[in-house]
Amino acid sequence: MRFVVQRDLLIESIQHVMKAISSRVTIPILTGIKIEASKDGIKLTGSDSDISIESFIPKEEDGIINVEEIETGSIVVQAKYFPDIIRKLPLKTVEIVTDDQFQVTILSGGSEFHLNGQDAVEYPQLPVLHTDNSFELKNDLLKELIRQTVFAVSTVETRPILTGVNMRLENDQLDFVATDSHRLASRKIPLSTENDQLDFDNIVIPGKSLAELNKIIDDNEETIMISVTENQILFQTKNLYFLSRLLDGNYPETSRLIPDQSKTTVLTKTKELLQAIDRASLLAKENRNNVVKLQTKANNQLEISSNTPEVGQVTEEVTTDTIEGEELKISFSAKYMIDALKIIQEDRVKIEFTGAMRPFIIRPMDNEQILQLILPVRTY
Amino acid sequence: MKTWNEIASNQPIATRILTNMIERNRLSHAYLIQGQKGTGKKAVSILLAKSFFCKNQIGSEPCHSCKDCVRIDSGNHPDVHHIAPEGASIKKEQIAHLQKEFTYTGLESNQKVYIITEADKMTTNAANRLLKFLEEPSKKTAAILTTENAHAILDTIRSRCQLIALRPLNTNQLELALIEKGLSKENARLFTVLTNDLQAALALDQDDWFAQARKLMVQLIEMLQTNIEEALLFIQKQWLLHFSDREQLKIGLDMLLYWYKDVMYLHIDENDQLVFLSYRENIEKSAMYWSKQDTTAILYAIMEARRHLEQNVHPTLVMEKLTLQMQR
Amino acid sequence: MTRWYPKNGRVIFHVDMNSFYASVEAAYNPDLKGKPLAIAGNPEERRGIIVTSSYEARAKGVKTTMPLWQAKKLCPELIVMRPNFERYRKASSEIFKMMAEITPYVQPVSIDEGYLDITDCHEQGSPLEIAEQLQAKILNELDLPCSIGIAPNKFLAKMASDMKKPMGITVLRKRDLPQKLWPLAIGEMYGVGEKTAEKLNKLDIYTIGDLVGSDLFQLKRVLGINGERLQNRAKGIDSSPVDPDAIYDFKSIGNSETLREDTTDDNVIKPLFRKLSRKVSVRLKRKKVVGQTLQVMIRYDDRKTITRSITQSNFLEEEDEIFSLAYDLFEKHWSGDPIRLLGVTVQSLVEKKEISEQLDLFSYQKETKNEKLIDVMNKLTSKYGKNIFQKSEVQEDRSQPRTSFQKDFLDDYRK
Repeated sequence: MRFVVQRDLLIESIQHVMKAISSRVTIPILTGIKIEASKDGIKLTGSDSDISIESFIPKEEDGIINVEEIETGSIVVQAKYFPDIIRKLPLKTVEIVTDDQFQVTILSGGSEFHLNGQDAVEYPQLPVLHTDNSFELKNDLLKELIRQTVFAVSTVETRPILTGVNMRLENDQLDFVATDSHRLASRKIPLSTENDQLDFDNIVIPGKSLAELNKIIDDNEETIMISVTENQILFQTKNLYFLSRLLDGNYPETSRLIPDQSKTTVLTKTKELLQAIDRASLLAKENRNNVVKLQTKANNQLEISSNTPEVGQVTEEVTTDTIEGEELKISFSAKYMIDALKIIQEDRVKIEFTGAMRPFIIRPMDNEQILQLILPVRTY
Repeated sequence: MKTWNEIASNQPIATRILTNMIERNRLSHAYLIQGQKGTGKKAVSILLAKSFFCKNQIGSEPCHSCKDCVRIDSGNHPDVHHIAPEGASIKKEQIAHLQKEFTYTGLESNQKVYIITEADKMTTNAANRLLKFLEEPSKKTAAILTTENAHAILDTIRSRCQLIALRPLNTNQLELALIEKGLSKENARLFTVLTNDLQAALALDQDDWFAQARKLMVQLIEMLQTNIEEALLFIQKQWLLHFSDREQLKIGLDMLLYWYKDVMYLHIDENDQLVFLSYRENIEKSAMYWSKQDTTAILYAIMEARRHLEQNVHPTLVMEKLTLQMQR
Repeated sequence: MTRWYPKNGRVIFHVDMNSFYASVEAAYNPDLKGKPLAIAGNPEERRGIIVTSSYEARAKGVKTTMPLWQAKKLCPELIVMRPNFERYRKASSEIFKMMAEITPYVQPVSIDEGYLDITDCHEQGSPLEIAEQLQAKILNELDLPCSIGIAPNKFLAKMASDMKKPMGITVLRKRDLPQKLWPLAIGEMYGVGEKTAEKLNKLDIYTIGDLVGSDLFQLKRVLGINGERLQNRAKGIDSSPVDPDAIYDFKSIGNSETLREDTTDDNVIKPLFRKLSRKVSVRLKRKKVVGQTLQVMIRYDDRKTITRSITQSNFLEEEDEIFSLAYDLFEKHWSGDPIRLLGVTVQSLVEKKEISEQLDLFSYQKETKNEKLIDVMNKLTSKYGKNIFQKSEVQEDRSQPRTSFQKDFLDDYRK
């Protein structure tokens, strides 16, 4: 393998793939970066086995030459040394050459490094995207889907499947659902794919992977391609590929657990409620479940209170737009409520209660795409 | 890297059972491979792992050259997980890592294999965590456990695995192999009985420590016959210094054991069984000094000492007691 | 009737059962009446000690905590019985029920004594009449004697009940203090133990009257805040209320048991842990409390005693949880020496109503089964106040005798 590449492009690529590399892996080869030269350009790969990131440097882009003198081939180099070497080289270009003994020579100006590499055959084989089994989303919309659901995944391993976000595709709708069993977040978007070949309908993506993906993709209107294989999901922007393993198992059916009628409905300003809960939670933090109490009052008033015997108590009054239905007194985790309200951009929210011991639903007013559900806290 | 064919010469039965299963596509989801040192546990588990992944198998034999086979050999296969004791035991964190692996899909496919060597070294906590997986096996996940002693494994785990027993190595074969490698007949014989493993035997042959150890052993025997008072001092001043850890102490005891076995062979005229061939004269002297009954008692005493050592009795105590027992 | 009651003060009773265990035994078996009777932990054993005795026995010098052999020497005709705790419990429960008929403000202190606040009971008669009626009722219906002290506060009522035994009724008003209270030796004062008495003697305080006149600064130096409290009481000042919930003021619940013989046998140890855990669990549930800390006590045959504890993130309440935790803890710390006594205690208790439980999406439907009932209860509670009904949560096996008294059964009278 041999090529000459623009150094800044190589550095950028290295930075991308390094995000997937961890020093704490059990498979030795994964401590390295895989470099692959093809006739179209250079591809770098980093992986911790849970997620893998591939970054492609095309040979030529918009008439500008990025890579020259390509002789195809591949190698794995140590991620511990390679990035620093490339960063500190003197010239704008760098030449990388390998021999059959997996020796890597890095040349730039007067510098010449020899690194021991490893056979790329040892590196995991990652699936490639098949366009006939993929669909497209705008970057910013995907980020929204992630942001509005991933916070609700479980962080404990007692039910591993709940550490992921359930992605479902049915009836021209894409649905993201996450729950830690105490609260649930769901976001649906219409998705009309011309492609009825899509052969997945229900997968579970690790929450950690999505959080990582959210950091990597830019918040813009560019398009990202998504495809799902038997064991991985692949997100592809122009020159960046993000792969994640999936969670193995069936995601619990949650739709039947979501109440479909309400006994008390509150319509109120999102921000005002959020701030009131936030203040009430200042004292609630001391008690175990971070519990605040919500009580409906006359004249569309909501009372939010919290009482921690050793610390003190707080009462907040919120004037709502309307309160309809039965009177209600309910306790819940302030943190869950804050999490839910934070991701709602709309001015007003509708909260539907079905009793003090049943889950309640929070949605932006006039927006059925977002659904947040919280299980109350039972007080003895 | 070994093939089923190579293994078959030492382990014909185990090989037949396993290759049959592979050919009929009837692999089990959990194996427990039991065998002494050097019987080929590792080779068998690697071959088994390959048979789950290799796409170019001919009959039961994996190709040993595809990407899957190569990486299983190098430890780089992303869906084959190796767990071995870290320090004295396999810790629950190591099993927790496996646990996490099982909740994820595989990296390349959904086939996963995990190999746990010295599975008897799992802490109870780790074993119980593992048990959960053996109880709810996933179709595409296989466990291969290896151990020198299947009885040291939790019953609940053992009963969920298919047990593959590897038979002890045929000593004649090993002895011949060692002579072929250029070892003297005596060394070939001694190392065969001490290690039962070709690689380990060759390593002992190159080991200065071992040469010195053998000298000390002969000196001790000499002293026991002539100057008993000195023997205890010798144990403290020299023996315990040279045999400084439990493994070395065990080798010391094993050598003594084979010495007295030789003495016994002389008593019963089985001269061709002798191990310490070049010390024929010394052994004859020993046979004059210790009667048949003495020798029997000493053999028992050595075996007891070995047991005590396993049970972590203090080495000084073990050796001093043995020295006293070896006096006529 | 209001003329018998103070305009601004309170009227407090202290009811003290006379020689309670012995009296209960005599009530069960009238043949025992008028005879010297003692209740001892272990009548068969010489080293058993006297738990309590009848007045006839006391007259011969038999005292509580005296070894059996000594008591027998003083009073050879002494009848010694094993305690029948179940009988005492039942009697006690009846007595408190009678008190509760007079006023809801009953504060049980132990199995055989309690306070009543009858300030608002003028419709039932004068305090003296009420006391006489109560005393008569207890005697007639249960055949048990008691003494009652009547005073403006708990301390004085307690002192008063002690002044005339058995079957006394003593009124102790503030104006009576110089004659009735102050001449008493300081050691007689409720709240003054041997140690405190010694300290006070050093300050030249020998009677309760001396305490009234002593220098507060000096008192505080020797006894701290308790010095001031004692002096106030001696002056007849005690504002502590009759608190029906005072017996709830506890921080731990535990049971222990001495083994018949010292043992290392797991077949004995394990079942005992099971039994102790069950008892603790039953008591926790009865009190509607849970705790996060579990303590195990091991006493060896050489009387060396160790306690070890562990704190959990979840709340302990169920027998199984307590048992497995206790047994684990025991196994971890047991030296292997023979064991004489084992104890299991749940500590850092909190009332269930103070804690909260996060409901779970996948199991909340189970919880909502009782929703309607709870709803109705809540509505009625907010309308009529607390305690109009209580869930009968624990069905206890009362056939089993108890090994020791615990305050928590004292609220039985409410049921």
